[in-house]
Amino acid sequence: MKQKEDNILFVGIDLGTSRSSICASNSAKEWIESYVGWPKDFISLKVVGRPVLFGSEALQNRLSLELCRPLEHGIIKEGIDRSEEAVREIIKYLIEISRPAAEQKIYAVVGVPADTLKTNKLAIRRAVSEFVHSLMVVSEPFAVAYGMNLLNNSLVIDIGAGTTDFCIMHGAIPAEEDQKTILTAGDYIDDQLYSYLNEKFPNSKFNKNMVRQFKEQYSFVGKSPGEIRVELPVDGKPVMHDITNEIKRACESILPAIIETTTEMIARFDPEFQVKIKSNIVLAGGGSLIRGIAAHIQEALKVIGSCTVVSVDEPLYAGSFGALKLAQDMPVKYWESL
Amino acid sequence: MISMIFRKRKHRLKESILRGVFEENLKILGKPPFRISERMPLSAKKISLSFLVILLFILGHGNSLNLTLFQEKQTLASSATKNYFQTPENPLTLLDNSANLSDAKAFLKIPGVPLSRTFGLTVKTVMIDPGHGGSHSGSIGKKGTKEKDITLDIAKRLKMRLDKYGQYNVIMTRENDVTLPLNKRVALAQSYKADLFVSIHINYLLSRPTNIIETYFFGSPSDDTTLKLAERENADSQYRLSDFRKIIEKIGDTLKYQESKKLAASIQKSLFLNISKEDGNVQNKGIKTAPFLVLLGVDVPAVLTEVSCMSNSKEEIELNNETHRENIAHYLETGILDYLNKGEASYEAKRR
Repeated sequence: MKQKEDNILFVGIDLGTSRSSICASNSAKEWIESYVGWPKDFISLKVVGRPVLFGSEALQNRLSLELCRPLEHGIIKEGIDRSEEAVREIIKYLIEISRPAAEQKIYAVVGVPADTLKTNKLAIRRAVSEFVHSLMVVSEPFAVAYGMNLLNNSLVIDIGAGTTDFCIMHGAIPAEEDQKTILTAGDYIDDQLYSYLNEKFPNSKFNKNMVRQFKEQYSFVGKSPGEIRVELPVDGKPVMHDITNEIKRACESILPAIIETTTEMIARFDPEFQVKIKSNIVLAGGGSLIRGIAAHIQEALKVIGSCTVVSVDEPLYAGSFGALKLAQDMPVKYWESL
Repeated sequence: MISMIFRKRKHRLKESILRGVFEENLKILGKPPFRISERMPLSAKKISLSFLVILLFILGHGNSLNLTLFQEKQTLASSATKNYFQTPENPLTLLDNSANLSDAKAFLKIPGVPLSRTFGLTVKTVMIDPGHGGSHSGSIGKKGTKEKDITLDIAKRLKMRLDKYGQYNVIMTRENDVTLPLNKRVALAQSYKADLFVSIHINYLLSRPTNIIETYFFGSPSDDTTLKLAERENADSQYRLSDFRKIIEKIGDTLKYQESKKLAASIQKSLFLNISKEDGNVQNKGIKTAPFLVLLGVDVPAVLTEVSCMSNSKEEIELNNETHRENIAHYLETGILDYLNKGEASYEAKRR
């Protein structure tokens, strides 16, 4: 089924709320944080030296930039800000860093959060299509499932930043009732952690970006891996703070909703196949990097019987890898008709 | 051997999933389903081709042949006095007035060969026409609710809903309370090259306090009430008699006829299915043909939908409720989208 055309570069893109990645058939593999920043004025332009900045670089220079995280809350905010333009810039940048050869056609499969796919299908196509010769858009959890060859009797839980997407695979392209999206995801943890820290250290100064970094570095559920101490300024002086409990509470705050939705998704599936699905639950997305999360969910799901929950090996690339696999497997006749 | 069967099954599964992904993306683009692997048998191809040739011949010679396809064309002028009315048995089926079918009409009735799809036509511009406006208030309820205000509000809500998809250029014939004669509405649809035209109205039944929903596309009147309604809606047309001949010649437009009928059916189905959940007494009058000039003048699929009934006091109160108007807009949206998606959308709209 694979296409071997040399003049085509197949790319799989995972357009995430927090991070976006690309895997290409020329073995290029890159990721960036899904932030785009444009200089606020000509002085900012002089300071940053470029008309548009991406990812961590954009975050570092955020005071000089008009910063946009285009898929915040899982959808493109059409007409409200520069979301669509930001998506365009991210895609353009990702394709550039995948180094396509001159004259090479680009066939892309783009994975997006399930809600984005439902509400912004056309906006995404608009944003992406000018940089590729042919394009298909799919939901992220489906791309992950395809990449892992979990086409039948499996449940993929993609814990992203804006949303957690659930997708049951049963040997066909998942229908709407096979997918569910909840808003308790990475950003929710950030909000919780920010409020817990504010409550505990009212005199300390910190912002959402710092809180996000603490989460990414130290996140865990269940048994603590050790004391977590971070430096926060108090009256301008750096002071060490113990945030172990706050990290635990914030990370565990998303679990009840995830467990409840998982149970519900399994329960409403054909009872004959429930056992198979229970032994094939896969966590993907940045949230799957939370230490102990797979074991914790597996334990909590015991009430509905024995379950096996595993995390994907490379959460950053699982979506884009699956999208690339889809792109490569897709017959040329389909590509040419789009 | 077993592993080979297993591999084959997996391969087939993958193929069907890939096709599913492809078809989903075709749908996003509003393109018709792909037919590479579904090869038509030669005999079917020959039949289709023969039908197409017959159709093209008929369309090309419609004026000189006395064919029943153009029955409407020949009978329209006299239809105002002719009494050939029917009551719908199945409320969702068309009240077809023609007795004998020509070959072309037979072609139209073959399931699965809509001309829009045969010719790969797509919809880009949707024109929404809020009925009446300005000095033409339309019907006025007992509590003073004016049809022109309600239709404008519903039209605006419908526009917002369709705009969300970013797929259609949605234009309104009027965006505020202005007088707009029918010929101007038609001219607008033509100048914007509308692909679809939906005129929104509210019914008023002099004799009955019931709430009814009905949707029209152009044709000779289905019943006496329809004729009266058409006279009322055509009152501010500002067309001259000399325009009428040109207008009448358009009735033979097969594509428009077929697609208008489908659009009307889709909208009516969505409206009735959903409104009947809120109002168990609402009556479904189905889709009908009527000589509304606003529908005739527009060259593309066009319908006039009577989404509610102002003479029903309860309904008049409901129409003053924002949620009810939003729901009606939602049901119209569902009907239009279902038509555009060729029956793949769900008619069941979620109420607010």
